[in-house]
Amino acid sequence: MKLVAEYRLRNDPAESSRIEGWMKTFAEAAQLSPEARNAFDLSLVEWITNVISYTHEDGREHWILVRFLASADQARIVVEDEGREFDPLKLPPVDTNAPLEQRPIGGLGVHMIRRLMDSVEYRRESGRNILTMTRRVR
Amino acid sequence: MPIEKKPAGDGVELFLAGRVDGPMANELEVVILEAIRSGAKTLYLNMAGASFLCSAGLRVLLQYWRQMKSSGKQFYVTNPSPEVDSVLTMTGFREQMVEGAGR
Repeated sequence: MKLVAEYRLRNDPAESSRIEGWMKTFAEAAQLSPEARNAFDLSLVEWITNVISYTHEDGREHWILVRFLASADQARIVVEDEGREFDPLKLPPVDTNAPLEQRPIGGLGVHMIRRLMDSVEYRRESGRNILTMTRRVR
Repeated sequence: MPIEKKPAGDGVELFLAGRVDGPMANELEVVILEAIRSGAKTLYLNMAGASFLCSAGLRVLLQYWRQMKSSGKQFYVTNPSPEVDSVLTMTGFREQMVEGAGR
């Protein structure tokens, strides 16, 4: 898979507004279908929100690295951050059939990432969380 | 994009457009609270123009759907765009929250 673009953003919620512009570039370069574009857009917003909200608790500035990759039929986003260990694949699944009155508020972002992507891989390496999200481009 | 409001029966209809992300979810919460304080018995959240809905927006929907319901009032999402409909379906919100989608 070829690297299409690479960006860095700070652990500041206002930085999430940059994602929309990145997705435009990525969708064009990787020739994403509208469905694939929406899936990557939502997954990236959800993961960045998680990283900013939960993995950096020391109040300091940190940088998050986002890499966009593509081949003829697949696309991939890799996100690296230096926050505390957070493996989304260990979260319990969300019971989408439960009545809304009984639903926990959290966990929906990761639930959607897992539904939208063909594969989600997590690893912890040299004090960094690395999440790899892959999906077909059509 | 500002959230438009219109009176609708005994309640208020709110029109959401564009990306319902974190900042828009915060704005939505303010507008919903204003509508509740003004005495609205029904809230209609018209999402025909919303192209994106993330979990920050879902949290606001869930919180005020519950609050309205527990006080004997109504909260509906109406006319969801295909993108919003897909998110509501994937999270299991659609059947209970979208007007006319109930079992």
